[in-house]
Amino acid sequence: MTTHISPQMASSGTQHGKFEPYVNNGGTTLAIPGKDFVIAAGDTRLSTGYSIHTRQSSKVFQLTDKCVIVTAGMQSDASTLHKTMHARLVHYEHAHGKQMSTEAIGQMLSNMLYGRRFFPYYTFNLVAGIDSKGQGVVYGYDAIGSYQSVEVGAMGTGQSLIQPLLDNQVAYKNHQLVPSKELDLERALSLVKDSFTSAGERDIYTGDSVEIAIITQEGIKYETLQLKQD
Amino acid sequence: MSMDNFGLYKLMHEDAPKNNNPLLEQPTLAKTHTTDPIVTGTSVLAIKFNGGVAIAADTLASYGSMARFRDIERLKSFGKYTIVGASGEYSDFQYIEEQVKQSLIDRDYQLDDGRSTTPREIYQYLVRVLYNRRNKFDPLYNVLVIAGYENGKAFLGQTDYLGTHFEDVTLATGYGSYIAQPILRKFYSEKNGNITEQEAKDILKKCLTVLFYRDARAADKVQIAVINDQGPKIDEPIKLETQWTFKGF
Amino acid sequence: MSLSFLDKSYNAFHDDQSFEEANSNTLTLYKEPGLVVPPTFNNAGFRDQSHEIAKKFAKGTTTLGFVFNKGIVIAVDSRASMGNYISSQNVKKVIEINPYLLGTMAGGAADCQFWERYLGMQCRLYELRNKRRITVSAASKLLVNIMYSYKGYGLSMGTMVAGWDHTGPNLFMVDNDGTRLKGNRFSVGSGSMFAYGVLDSGYRPDLTEEQACELGRRAIYHATHRDSMSGGIINVYLIREDGWHKISSTDMDHLHWNYVEDKKKEIADRNKL
Repeated sequence: MTTHISPQMASSGTQHGKFEPYVNNGGTTLAIPGKDFVIAAGDTRLSTGYSIHTRQSSKVFQLTDKCVIVTAGMQSDASTLHKTMHARLVHYEHAHGKQMSTEAIGQMLSNMLYGRRFFPYYTFNLVAGIDSKGQGVVYGYDAIGSYQSVEVGAMGTGQSLIQPLLDNQVAYKNHQLVPSKELDLERALSLVKDSFTSAGERDIYTGDSVEIAIITQEGIKYETLQLKQD
Repeated sequence: MSMDNFGLYKLMHEDAPKNNNPLLEQPTLAKTHTTDPIVTGTSVLAIKFNGGVAIAADTLASYGSMARFRDIERLKSFGKYTIVGASGEYSDFQYIEEQVKQSLIDRDYQLDDGRSTTPREIYQYLVRVLYNRRNKFDPLYNVLVIAGYENGKAFLGQTDYLGTHFEDVTLATGYGSYIAQPILRKFYSEKNGNITEQEAKDILKKCLTVLFYRDARAADKVQIAVINDQGPKIDEPIKLETQWTFKGF
Repeated sequence: MSLSFLDKSYNAFHDDQSFEEANSNTLTLYKEPGLVVPPTFNNAGFRDQSHEIAKKFAKGTTTLGFVFNKGIVIAVDSRASMGNYISSQNVKKVIEINPYLLGTMAGGAADCQFWERYLGMQCRLYELRNKRRITVSAASKLLVNIMYSYKGYGLSMGTMVAGWDHTGPNLFMVDNDGTRLKGNRFSVGSGSMFAYGVLDSGYRPDLTEEQACELGRRAIYHATHRDSMSGGIINVYLIREDGWHKISSTDMDHLHWNYVEDKKKEIADRNKL
């Protein structure tokens, strides 16, 4: 039996037979922690296969006054996860009269992801925030909740383009002589912008624009970086 | 099944989920999930204009390559401020119209505060319905376009059977995402978003014509609807004017 | 006893809480935290339908642990790969369950991390209830019981539970099949055969602490050198009567060139004789 199915359905593998509940909507996210700041960013392209659904879909979600999450992977799982986390955080704030710490959010997400161990959220997360000591911190996750604090984190379709370079430039990996200069916000921000400009040049799923959240003790500021229009 | 002219019964039951895990009970064949869309609608197109949103679709529901139902409506009004257009499995859209739409109407009625569910609320609700069905491995095989106008604001959003959702100023589903969306995006940016209702309807009509030429599942009988401060207005179907003398055809 | 965040009551406002209620043919097997099981779940099917994602769980490892007269040495690498991509070169594969207990991570990173975190919680509850520390034997049995209850679900975990209790140093190996073995020498992971080669040839119960740590380190080093799925930093822990101590954290590359230097010196010395 040949039935017509829309190209969107065809491109996500819904031919005759088994239902495929997962799709990779592409996109890249990045987060860099500093001494007293943290930067988190995600591009805004939303695709399935070769089709760009929209050029303005956010991957950044603010969780508290000093914590955001950036998510690559499947968009519908990501937004469900963001909404569920938001509900948990509102509940926590009402119950405890304060916002959840970034460290606690880190472990909460791990538990939430593992709660779906047998039907995972197809999401690759970075939680970026200021911790209870006032320092910048980034937690990186796999799809089912394994997590660790990272010196620099890139996720999504541009991960393999960005991560190795920033391991070298931010975490100073594979240097014979490790530069002693501490990473400041200005340099971190410029690395974030250059990373996305470069990933946008080589990854078809990364593009359009980049949403950047800059978190300090003073609060969260957002910036948008326009990428090349192709 | 009393009548099975198209051998669908067998088709549906061949794909019954098989369970190999001895720890789990074997599910019965009593409930089967849709594994394929059967009766389908093709593209839905929409564009925002000054003071509203225009949305359009043809009136064909195909059965495979057969033009099975040539006069069905794929645009439906949902409450006071919203129109929903559907491509994909038509029966699933009928279910959405009956169940989801009714529950929204009931809610507005029961609350009795004179407020109606807004387009964005309907959009989010539909996203959750479609996403929860995909979680049950029993998807509603549709791509829905939600167009609305409420409180002086135009709304245009899309969601599919996986729960993928987004908003934009122009939208097109199915083949339309390849053929019509570039035309609509170009038009929108050239006009800098400054589009009249008539211009919006005209460009949709033009896109539907292009789709009719190139999408083998498209028809030349179409409906164009508008939602603005006057509420939803879904026009009666019209026949597209076509020109077949071009040598390329 | 189950975790409140995974409780059904808590799930009341979790938007997809109805999985198990809605599908009466989902399993009712005894499990610890109530994990969501999809309606069509079966083990083979899970890997089929999400082979793309299955690849993306962190995997590949070399870990080892051995008991000697002075205590226990635990040594691990730090690489995590997802398919061909190295997703991290500095994973913490030694999980510090409490000051007297260590767990190691091989197989699925999340499975090890989550269940050993859960084990840590259970061990603390044991202390509060019984006013004494849990034995390594009991702790490892808590873990293996969970593994057995999930047998066939596709969990991936090869772990060593090591610690010092009132019976002395103890080392257990637990895996996702529900195996639990007590022993003096274990190595787990894709690079384990390389590590075993070094470990078995250099092992003696009367090793000094320094010699024992160096043996563990060298065994992991050889595994990182020959197994492409292992690499990064080599972490060494020593467990004594007073609990565990982190001994070293060394880049395998530094070790490599140090060992090359040592070998050159050894050859030069031998030629002098």
